[in-house]
Amino acid sequence: MSENMRQTAAQIVQSYDGAPLRIMEVCGTHTHEIFRLGIRSLLPPQVDLISGPGCPVCVTPVGFIDEALWLAEHGVTIATFGDLVRVPGTERSLADARAAGARVQVVYSPLDALSYAKEHGDEQVTFLSVGFETTVPAACLVADQALSEGVENFSLLTANKTMPNAYAALRNSADVFLYPGHVHAITGTALCEDLAKQGVSGVLAGFTAKELVTALAVAVRKAQEDKPFFVNAYPRVVRPEGTPAAVALMDKVMEPVDAEWRGLGVIPGSGLQLRDAYSSIDARKKFEMPHIEGRPNPACRCGEVLQGHCKPSDCPLFGKVCTPQHPVGACMVSGEGACSAYFQYGGGQL
Amino acid sequence: MCVGLSAKVVRIQDGMAMVDASGARREVSVQLMDDVEPGDYVMVHAGIAIAKITDEDEHETDEVLEALLA
Amino acid sequence: MSKQVTLAMGAGGKQTAELIDTVFAKRFESPLLTADDAAVLQRPAGRIAMSTDGFIVSPSFFPGGNIGKLSVCGTVNDLACMGAKPLYLTCAFVIEEGFELDKLEQIADAMAATAAEAGVTLVAGDTKVAGKGQVDGVFITTTGVGEIVEGATPAGANARPGDAIIVTGDVGRHGCTILLARDDFGIEANVTSDCAPLWSSVEAMLDASKNIHVIRDATRGGVGTVLYEIASQSGVGIALDAAVVPVDPAVGGVCRMLGLEPLYLACEGRLVVIAPKDEAPALVEALRSAPHSKGAAIIGEVTDERPGWVVMNTEVGTQTLLPQPGGELLPRIC
Repeated sequence: MSENMRQTAAQIVQSYDGAPLRIMEVCGTHTHEIFRLGIRSLLPPQVDLISGPGCPVCVTPVGFIDEALWLAEHGVTIATFGDLVRVPGTERSLADARAAGARVQVVYSPLDALSYAKEHGDEQVTFLSVGFETTVPAACLVADQALSEGVENFSLLTANKTMPNAYAALRNSADVFLYPGHVHAITGTALCEDLAKQGVSGVLAGFTAKELVTALAVAVRKAQEDKPFFVNAYPRVVRPEGTPAAVALMDKVMEPVDAEWRGLGVIPGSGLQLRDAYSSIDARKKFEMPHIEGRPNPACRCGEVLQGHCKPSDCPLFGKVCTPQHPVGACMVSGEGACSAYFQYGGGQL
Repeated sequence: MCVGLSAKVVRIQDGMAMVDASGARREVSVQLMDDVEPGDYVMVHAGIAIAKITDEDEHETDEVLEALLA
Repeated sequence: MSKQVTLAMGAGGKQTAELIDTVFAKRFESPLLTADDAAVLQRPAGRIAMSTDGFIVSPSFFPGGNIGKLSVCGTVNDLACMGAKPLYLTCAFVIEEGFELDKLEQIADAMAATAAEAGVTLVAGDTKVAGKGQVDGVFITTTGVGEIVEGATPAGANARPGDAIIVTGDVGRHGCTILLARDDFGIEANVTSDCAPLWSSVEAMLDASKNIHVIRDATRGGVGTVLYEIASQSGVGIALDAAVVPVDPAVGGVCRMLGLEPLYLACEGRLVVIAPKDEAPALVEALRSAPHSKGAAIIGEVTDERPGWVVMNTEVGTQTLLPQPGGELLPRIC
């Protein structure tokens, strides 16, 4: 029964014969899974799947890595998700710094970064807080815990981002958005409903083969009805109200700030920073860090890739000087980066 | 954007739950979930539970498709 | 004698002799292992294969083995992959000052037991002690010599379109075991290393058929890396059926938690075997009769499409490329 349903969904996608349709998968994990499962080869030629900016590593500006390197050079232990380790800063990456003696601790969770700090009282430990609404609550949990427990050797370097204003910035880049399931598990569906009222269509998608193919089936079928729509195709995880406790915690610990997105520039109110009450664990304030401006490689077209304006293979660096082994741009580093996914999975050859 | 893992809650103590995914276990925070109990399934990201879920995606996804075809 | 290894034990004097006598000589006892400067050996009748490998692993002890067992398996398996019955093995230790003697004895025990199982004789050895912090515990280098079975010619360049691809058991166990043993990510799972000497598996296959094109042991980089190496060496494409690659459920769970691909986690007791399709069922049956390859399975085939690439048949009936092997395995969260 269920296997049949997946085939039905796949047939709906494959047999789409309507007008050209641009679908943007906002979430990098969607990009990754779509490549891993070979889902692109199900799509008819007039459906263009665009890889959007929902990879925190990819949209994190070069200057953030430079800031982390500044901390490492000043003797601070960097605790980070594995994703960031190989991202190039202006001159080098955290992996390079580690090879030169810096302490870089890869963690699975911000909770582990705080535990590490507690176990290593003689080190200053800074957690690199990247990620969207899905990841922010975990960072806020440890921020709150560190402050209330008075853990003095722990801090956060934030580059967190939020989606609402990014959707607005991207609204002309696609006809239908595949909304990131886990972001909306936290924030709920109200924003998606509002966007539909404003003329922006989208489908909330899960991450298994069947969930993704079903979401695409909904997208192509609904697109033919010629009116803006929103469908929650991931009801297993996303409730309309989201996770209120997580939203409340985020609001308690962090406040909106204008944020630079690699490639998209500064989007007003699209970032988060620690509120004043948490100054003592804000690495920028705690270590009186200077303002650091990163310089990306001028030939790198990650920015246009992230906006769906060009394919990774259109970039002059792609596959030549920029490869997963020697990444130039962030999109080539992260396993879910569009350039990495294109390179690893053969870039549209299949 | 956010790798998620569905896992079964084995036990809970002080806002932390031991979860199990096919025999791989780790402690995650369930502080943001209300009414999670051992035996429930949760979606885990970066060491915290972000949603309470059912144990499989089959029937819920099927319902989405059935609604589309109706 | 001190309970820890001291620098004096590596200085070449009386204490060195004592260390060798108490820890190594009695465990590795054989007429071929003498106090002279080199082993004197009978030349085998056939062609010989020879291989050397250095072993560093942190931690030195892990579920399913230790660095001693690993150092014997690694080299005898390299020989077995050339169709060679392992005969002789040498070993060189670099030991960190302060390393506990009873651990060294356990390592030597494991080497002796594994060598006995593999049918290989330890014929020469060397021991050095390095200052604290200059090595991590103990490093071991082993060199092996084996006699190639008449008629066996496996080599990485011999895969041909139409061949079947066999793996001798579930993939990624050793890499997963080490990852868990380091306890960097707070994950627990009941996973033991697949570390094992595989001559018995190769011997069983060669008894069934000499018509085997490639035998490779999947160590660092896992089965995925080996398949890319073979695709490149043989100038062929490889098509894998993702659904039938054997993966222990707990290894799969750990991989999903950390965003890792089991095909790229290290194995230390798994072979990738490529042979003509009509030989494959008999080879799988032979492998399943050997102690360390009971989980042998056919996982794909060699093709003439997309030379140099490994293609996966996915669960949705599409094809995708297996990502090419990367560098350091880093867990991903985003």
